[in-house]
Amino acid sequence: MSKVTSRANGGQVRQGEAGGASPLSKSLYSLSLKPSSRPRTDAASDVCPVCKSSRYLNPNMKFLVNPECYHKMCESCVDRIFSHGPAPCPIAGCARTLRKGKFREATFEDLKVEREVDIRRRVASIMNKEESDFETLKDYNDYLEQVEEITWNLILKIDVDETNHRLQRWADAQAAETGATRRTYEPDPSMAGASGVVLKKGGTQRRALETSSGNTTDTNVKDKGFNFHGLKKKVAPPPEAPFDPFDGWSIAPQYYTLQNDYDADWLTKHKREKEQLVGGYQWSDFYNRALQDAFGGLTVFIDDEIRARDIPSGDAAIGTERAATAAAGGQDVNMDDIF
Amino acid sequence: MKLNEDDLYRTSTQFRQWSFTAEQLAAQRAKTNLQATERVKLNVARQRAQRVQAAELDSTSGNSGIDGSGANTPNAVTSDKEVDCLTVTEEMTFVEEFCERTMALGAHCKFSDNVIATCVQFLRRFYLYNSPMTYHAQNISRTAMFLAGKSESEHQSLDHFATNISSEKTKVTPEQILAPEYLIVQALRFNFDVKHPFRALKGGVLDMMSIANGKYEGPNHSIHKTAADLSTAIHQLPRKTGGLAAKATSQQLADRIMRESYSPAAQTLKKTAALTDVYFLYTPSQIWLAALLLADEPLVLFYLSVKMPSTSPVYEKVIVALRECALILSSHRSHQKLHLPADEQARMDAEHRAEVKRLIKKLKLCQDPDKLDLVKLNQAQKRDAVQGSDLDVHKAKRRKMDRENFQKDSDTFWGPELPTYGAKPA
Repeated sequence: MSKVTSRANGGQVRQGEAGGASPLSKSLYSLSLKPSSRPRTDAASDVCPVCKSSRYLNPNMKFLVNPECYHKMCESCVDRIFSHGPAPCPIAGCARTLRKGKFREATFEDLKVEREVDIRRRVASIMNKEESDFETLKDYNDYLEQVEEITWNLILKIDVDETNHRLQRWADAQAAETGATRRTYEPDPSMAGASGVVLKKGGTQRRALETSSGNTTDTNVKDKGFNFHGLKKKVAPPPEAPFDPFDGWSIAPQYYTLQNDYDADWLTKHKREKEQLVGGYQWSDFYNRALQDAFGGLTVFIDDEIRARDIPSGDAAIGTERAATAAAGGQDVNMDDIF
Repeated sequence: MKLNEDDLYRTSTQFRQWSFTAEQLAAQRAKTNLQATERVKLNVARQRAQRVQAAELDSTSGNSGIDGSGANTPNAVTSDKEVDCLTVTEEMTFVEEFCERTMALGAHCKFSDNVIATCVQFLRRFYLYNSPMTYHAQNISRTAMFLAGKSESEHQSLDHFATNISSEKTKVTPEQILAPEYLIVQALRFNFDVKHPFRALKGGVLDMMSIANGKYEGPNHSIHKTAADLSTAIHQLPRKTGGLAAKATSQQLADRIMRESYSPAAQTLKKTAALTDVYFLYTPSQIWLAALLLADEPLVLFYLSVKMPSTSPVYEKVIVALRECALILSSHRSHQKLHLPADEQARMDAEHRAEVKRLIKKLKLCQDPDKLDLVKLNQAQKRDAVQGSDLDVHKAKRRKMDRENFQKDSDTFWGPELPTYGAKPA
């Protein structure tokens, strides 16, 4: 099968590119996309297996399936049987418990294909690694191959319980690693024996079920269900530092400490004014600004600092050359009308 | 990364663009004067030559002079004497006089002290790079006042301001105010923020009051360690340097700080500081301390000793700078006048007035003839300049038609028609 061919290519070809197509996928293609050669008036497909009513009598008849067992029945049968809650499948020999909510129209005419697609979708939602998550292409291809194996196990009903458990553990491990909300894996309902819908059961039975499931998750915390070679360790991004609009700069006054209040006659007069009660006006702002002004440049000695700047002032400082000529008493800069 | 008050001040345009050493200031003024002198002489010579040429033409056709406007008072062009330009000192006196007049103008327009001080600084900055021989201070000061009002957010509308400053003798039109606006803004290098020492003085006095009340919390480098000790120390300060220490009551101390120190210092800042070069040479913080130093020396020295260790070299430097700044302030005419008897004051004023009168007369004969009519110059730079030729008339007519058409169309119910692409517009 495809496994053999990809190995022969040295594992350096992406499996998706190599066609990756299993015979069933091919059949899927031929079934779904190619215009059906079968006549639409197939007697068997147009008669509901439950109530035996046919499309001939009811042209608007719609057939629904439930992914528990993929048995087909008409819409009115579904309404009739499952309106009052879960009930066993009416098809002889099936007896799975079905819910009305799960019924849907089949996308594919071949219900085997429908089932495969469902399984593939479920597996893909859990096994969602990408090539960039692996160290080498070979590792990625091995991973894809293993995923395909799991899928086939589920489709061909080999080791279903075991595979489902492993998938569940893998999903848990992934969720724990990313810190995302736990994605629960719903095992294939058409396979599961015990984990299907529980009809009204006694309390003891339910409790026993809960403990058993609890046990399994507890014991499986250690192993992740699968072990893929060459999977990169996920590095959590460093926590973002709180935003600092001043980029680490702050104003630290050297000559004063802002006090809560200052006393002066002229201040008390102003403080009683009605205008000062307006929201947003703070006396501390005035104090701070006044004190900042009072000491801003106290030890800036212009004589020394300008000399140290060693630039003939008036040249380097002027923004544009034209402004320089104008400022130096040259000719005026033209006032250009922008319109 | 910490910034202190000095770092903040260093970021201001006042420090970066408008602070100079005394030599730089003198050199810049000399340079401006030299350039203006050359230009005036050149322009006057050119205009006189034109005049002579025109006169020759006129003598054949029998017309009067080229400009009949300045017939009674001769200006630089019409007088036949050699152009005698202003010197640097004369220019400075002239600018200073107009700064004083501007202060009166600002008070007349009911602008706040901040606006007036800003306007005076605008003028001083403008005349650092321009000569009054090029642009007459009369025109510039009005616009500078209008600009200062805007930049200190005390805007008066243009029309209101124009009527406000018009007198019966001189009518000022809004165009006259607007004409040199861009010129000034550009000479100011678009730096509208002037840092004044007024609020700083208030802050400093508040701080001193908190020392007096024993509530001081800031840095303390003096020998008096606690706030209470500082309070007692400030109460015992001598009134004069070298005077006897006398214990004052807290009411006396408050009076001393607010009435005897703050008020004269505020007056000095408002008037004298604006008229001298201290804004160019010192920082606002040094200016208010210098003004206070003139009013109450022991208080300032005590205050400084609290703020910084008196052993550090910076302390010495600050004291030296303050004394230099105080010297500039106290040697100015407006400050000297305060301590003179009335008749002496009157004599000084008369002397000053005579000097100013002479300067104004002299300036009339050396004004740059190219820059006399700023309104016309300003208009010449605008679109559709007034030198109306046939082409301009045609253009104006077409624009007017377009505008009217558009207006008419847009009044219709669905608005003007959309342009149809590909098809020729109607």
